[in-house]
Amino acid sequence: MQSVAEFDNVGLRYGTGSETLTDISFTLFPGSFYFLTGPSGAGKTSLLKLLYLSLRPSRGAIRMFGHDTVTMTRDRLPGFRRRIGVVFQDFRLVPHLTAFDNIALPLRIAGITEKDLQGPVSEMLSWIGLSERAEARPAMLSGGEQQRVAIARAVIGRPEILVADEPTGNVDPEMAVRLLQLFAALNRLGTTVVVATHDIHLLQEIEGAQMMRLEKGRLSDPTGSLKHPPRPLILKN
Amino acid sequence: MAAPFAFAIPAHDRKLIPDGRFSGTMSWVMAIMLFLTLLAAAAAISLGNAANQGSDTLASEATVQLLDPDPAARAAQQKAVAELLRRTQGVEAVTVIPEAQSRKLIEPWLGEAANDADIPVPALIDVRFDSPPTVATLRQVQQSLRRVSQSVRIDSHASWMEPFVSLMQTLFLLALSVMLLLLLATAATVVLSVRGALNTHRTTIEIMHMMGSTDIQAARLFQRRVALDALFGGMVGLLAAILVLWLLGSRFSALEPGLLADAGMPLYGWLLLVVIPVGVAALAMLTARWTVLSALKKII
Repeated sequence: MQSVAEFDNVGLRYGTGSETLTDISFTLFPGSFYFLTGPSGAGKTSLLKLLYLSLRPSRGAIRMFGHDTVTMTRDRLPGFRRRIGVVFQDFRLVPHLTAFDNIALPLRIAGITEKDLQGPVSEMLSWIGLSERAEARPAMLSGGEQQRVAIARAVIGRPEILVADEPTGNVDPEMAVRLLQLFAALNRLGTTVVVATHDIHLLQEIEGAQMMRLEKGRLSDPTGSLKHPPRPLILKN
Repeated sequence: MAAPFAFAIPAHDRKLIPDGRFSGTMSWVMAIMLFLTLLAAAAAISLGNAANQGSDTLASEATVQLLDPDPAARAAQQKAVAELLRRTQGVEAVTVIPEAQSRKLIEPWLGEAANDADIPVPALIDVRFDSPPTVATLRQVQQSLRRVSQSVRIDSHASWMEPFVSLMQTLFLLALSVMLLLLLATAATVVLSVRGALNTHRTTIEIMHMMGSTDIQAARLFQRRVALDALFGGMVGLLAAILVLWLLGSRFSALEPGLLADAGMPLYGWLLLVVIPVGVAALAMLTARWTVLSALKKII
């Protein structure tokens, strides 16, 4: 089985400081669901940045979709980034675009025509319960609404891997479960999902999900599954 | 204020890089730069044309002077010399200058006295050769004319007009340099403007980047806007320049024919003035593209 992502002894250092991530090795398999946990400052966001190709490691090897992305030339990276959906911790919505346009952005970047993107974007807005707010700009949306738009934007392109940094941090528990159900639905369609979270309760929502725990920049593998394909997931309804 | 030619940019691209935050004054700065560039270009073309025409014409022309103090002898010699010149090989045209016209030439200095018959004025003959004569040719012609009149003198126009032609050529080079400097300044304006816009929209570009936008896609957002601003600025600058050149042209045409008579704008000059704004729009577009691509290389 070809892995979605493979990290081998990866280290990350910002500038001349000490290593933020040290000796990170794991393999993510297609169709798997992973939770990335750990205390604040453990390096979760840095690890996710390496996953969504926003950073290159200081050392070690990373293979995404079977390709070495550490030595890959810049011009090849966009093609790989389009296969990755990202939910940023701070949402990173484009402030002067409406909710509709923010969600449509990945499709427009991928060259989908205006006619073809209207349906999927409207459907996504409806699913996250923001059809009425399609024309609202981020500043007019609550924190939870912004987060839903950010998630919709990450999943609209049906990515092969979804990377979410604290995606339920600003929503009520009911919405958090709904969002996780969306991730689970995507996961059932074959998308590999990696969710960084503090919320220990979320871990129980998706049976069969693997847990990666980061502490002081080092990865522990409590389920022992990171080097081996996990068993098929059984998702709770 | 909506940016000029906004309709030429797809609505979603316009939303990504809103006009108000980018173009605004840019198109008017471009209009001013283009106006000055076109004036410099017009000056360069006119002066170059004048220098070329002047040197071409002057190089083939000469004036024959007959200095005999006796007016009757002078008139007879003028007629005979003109006849001899017409038969001389290599002479294309011979124009006998009437005495009245010669006296008119000195009228600005002598006033009414210029028409006093007691004041001798040389009899003049303009000669145009079919090709620029050499010094030896001129000497040979003078020797043959001396058979008719010992007081004959032949002056090549090139010798006394050379400083004027040289001045025209210097002014041409100066105008050309000013034009090139203005084009450089325009490119620098575009670089600064695009860098400013890139800073303003850095977050948007980074988000697009993370979603798989290529550098070319990001550059296209800026280069298209800059090209349209430059094109709008070019059109405004061109209209203003044409108006100014037309006004100057009407002032020049009111002057007596003289040294500046050749400083007109040839047809190819007008065509070049129309082409320059299009060229500047292309230059601005390429500069914007280069600026964005260079800046984006710094992020992975």
